[in-house]
Amino acid sequence: MMNSVFSIAREESRLWLRSRLALSALLVFALLLTATSTLTALRMSAEHQQRTEQQALAEETFLSQPDRHPHRMVHYGHYVFRVPPPLSVVDPGVDAVTGQSIFLEGHRQNTAMFADAGAGANIGSFEALNAALVYQLFVPLLLIAIGHGLIVREREENTLAPLLAQNVTGVMLCLGKWIALAGVTLVLLLPLFVMTAVAVARGESLLASAGLIGIYALYLLVWCSLILLVSALVRSRSLGLGVLALFWLGAVLIVPRSAVETADTVMPAEGKLETDLRMQADLREVGDGHNAGAPEFLQLQANLLAQYEVDSVEDLPVNFRGVVAEVNEADLTDVMNRYAEERMALEARQARFAESFGWLSPVVAVSAGSRALSGTDLATHHRFLREAEEVRFDFVQGLNRVHVEQLDYIIDINRSNDTVSERRTRMSAENWNVLDEFSFQAAPATERLTRATPALTMLSAWFLLLTAGGIFVARRIRP
Amino acid sequence: MTGLLREIRFLSRDSAALLWLGIAIFIAVVSVFLGLREVSSQRAELDNLIAADRLEREVVMGLYQDDWGDVAYYTFHLTYAPPSDFAFAAQGQRDTSPWKHNIRALALEGQIHETDAENPDFALVGRLDFAFVANLLAPLLLILLLHDLRSAERAAGRYELLCATATSRGSPWLARAALRSSALALCLIGPLWAGGLLAGTEAASLALASLVVVSHIGFWWAVCALMERFGWSSPVNLTALVGAWLAFAVIVPAAIKVSVESIVPLPDGGEILFTQREAVNDAWDLPKDATMEPFIARHPEWADYTEVGQPFEWKWYYAFQQVGDQTVEPLSLAFREGRIRRDKLAGSLAWLSPPALAERALQALAGTDVAATLAYEQQVREFHSVLREYYYPRLFRDEPVSNASLEQRPQFRGTSE
Repeated sequence: MMNSVFSIAREESRLWLRSRLALSALLVFALLLTATSTLTALRMSAEHQQRTEQQALAEETFLSQPDRHPHRMVHYGHYVFRVPPPLSVVDPGVDAVTGQSIFLEGHRQNTAMFADAGAGANIGSFEALNAALVYQLFVPLLLIAIGHGLIVREREENTLAPLLAQNVTGVMLCLGKWIALAGVTLVLLLPLFVMTAVAVARGESLLASAGLIGIYALYLLVWCSLILLVSALVRSRSLGLGVLALFWLGAVLIVPRSAVETADTVMPAEGKLETDLRMQADLREVGDGHNAGAPEFLQLQANLLAQYEVDSVEDLPVNFRGVVAEVNEADLTDVMNRYAEERMALEARQARFAESFGWLSPVVAVSAGSRALSGTDLATHHRFLREAEEVRFDFVQGLNRVHVEQLDYIIDINRSNDTVSERRTRMSAENWNVLDEFSFQAAPATERLTRATPALTMLSAWFLLLTAGGIFVARRIRP
Repeated sequence: MTGLLREIRFLSRDSAALLWLGIAIFIAVVSVFLGLREVSSQRAELDNLIAADRLEREVVMGLYQDDWGDVAYYTFHLTYAPPSDFAFAAQGQRDTSPWKHNIRALALEGQIHETDAENPDFALVGRLDFAFVANLLAPLLLILLLHDLRSAERAAGRYELLCATATSRGSPWLARAALRSSALALCLIGPLWAGGLLAGTEAASLALASLVVVSHIGFWWAVCALMERFGWSSPVNLTALVGAWLAFAVIVPAAIKVSVESIVPLPDGGEILFTQREAVNDAWDLPKDATMEPFIARHPEWADYTEVGQPFEWKWYYAFQQVGDQTVEPLSLAFREGRIRRDKLAGSLAWLSPPALAERALQALAGTDVAATLAYEQQVREFHSVLREYYYPRLFRDEPVSNASLEQRPQFRGTSE
């Protein structure tokens, strides 16, 4: 029985190889996939290298600063860069629409700056074409073009009756045709194999890479089953093509954007400026750490005096201005983190809501899953923001420690008297090694796989449903 | 006339054609509705921001009364570019480029590149705006409407008969294609005008936008007519047309983007910030003259006030903020000019891709193109220098802070307010 299934599949492939249309469409897509894959891979590799170098340069510059007042270094600040993970050569995800670097300084959480999208050439909607988008949006078109006639062609050409009479059941026929189309899919996945191999060579985990190939294979098989189902159901090729075109239009062009619009309507997010203005009142309550004499710090002063059993701040064994800076930074950070976490939680909820549209369109599911597995999704960007904040807080507090422990209070408060007094407040540059090395990594593969689970579930459901439908129809196939 | 009526009767019985036209009008209405909603939410956000900004400034004014240095350091000013009355039709660059900034009198380069962006997942997928419907969806719908005009008749065996009975060879097909194309154009333009009336758009913008839509549809009609000459069967015809759509709407724009960006390189954004920070921070450790000299070169009117006796003085602090901007000016200008050149080149090359050309035209009409983004950026720069002009006399002459003086402080005014 399997023999005849395979011979049906072989026959179908031969037909494609003989058809100029199918062959040229295949060729165009092979070229398109190779070109976009190569360009994406080159671009992301260049980005990887550039940002890694910039990160190293930023650290070197920080460490090579001369002796200074430690609080000057708090404002001198530092940069961190979001180095793209290896699998971004397949799916750059949100890399182009989010800033790639953040300036870290005391008392502020800056946004990530310089998103590529803002400075790129403006040429329309699908301008930033990459391999992932070609697989998600346009390879299905090719499958439709060559596969819509799978069964209905036999019907139109009146070859269905003789076939079914030759001891070939409807299920065998459909299985054979499906295998032929799935074979094309496998060939089309070759560029993806090559790119993931490149990523693995650069240290990407096998699990995530296999997951990425798996999710694209599953996604394209969903299309194969859908095409076969439609082809078995309709009476004419034109109708079949119309139905499939309608589905593609909806799934690829309309549903993803509707998902975004709906998520934006159902759970609107305020802009960062608005949040910042709201946050100002809370921040003011914490006080300005530059002014150690402010009323906000009287309680702190009283506590310290009591703790060390002295009468004035001058007698404290620690630098009171430094203590204020340290406590103030911690309090400000609490407030800022609260707002930042609220914002990230809302964005994550929006993203999850939009992703649930994967039940309506497999495109939404595969793109979310692909970004999650590649480590280029919103969650990865949030991970970057959190890690950057950790770096910021650590080096600022490290510097504040130096301020507290090593800089004498009397010298400190007299810093503005004259140049000599100012010079005495400069601490040794050795202290700048409070800065930790930063190298951004995407989450471990298992975590990314967990994030891709909803997408994989949706795609599996699509696949099972369409395949079950296909089997149901195949059993009842009549000439 | 009877021919037209007959064609309308045909169309009204063709359920597939009605389906495609129905989709067109439905999506167009939805997109216009979403665009209007987005614009009104941007306006509401701006109103909130303007109110909150005013309130915040009053609070800050109450807190810092001692010297101008503090006032300038702690006072932020909201700048913004409100959406135009046609912005509902094309979101354009407003998704990814900033249209609001909160700035203060410190070095501008550290502030102007901030982005108040929405959820990146949204920016990645894009908006369902009218421009998207008219430029990417409509051609596909037209292709679906026109691809089997002749081939379906041919398959049904009526083609020869129809040709023989028609008065002139092309006329039944021409009338049919014209009717379907105009029906599709109406399905798009109708909702657009309705949205325009609600938003109070100028009739000229609407007329130009309609012209863009009609010409774009005309282009695709021509493509369909051209393909028809090959006499292929409907499925082959449709496949070839969708291939043309893929080429014009996706592949050519992507190729244009890649080539423009490699022909016109931009200075790295990070480099601008880095240079600016180094300049500003180095100033602390340099002799005061090293700051004051380049400052005076730009502002000779303060040459007599450059004495800095203390280790820290506000006028010196703001002078090195200015010098920081001056140091990075060549890079910053190159960044700006690079974007202008990229946009110009993309504009010329867009003639290779009608959908891209139509998209750019609609964005230009909506004031959501790169030029609008750059214009807003320039407005912010101008406002920032007005702000500096306001503070410098007060800082350099060490004037006392007074309410009368504060009332003269410049306020940002949005363009279309």
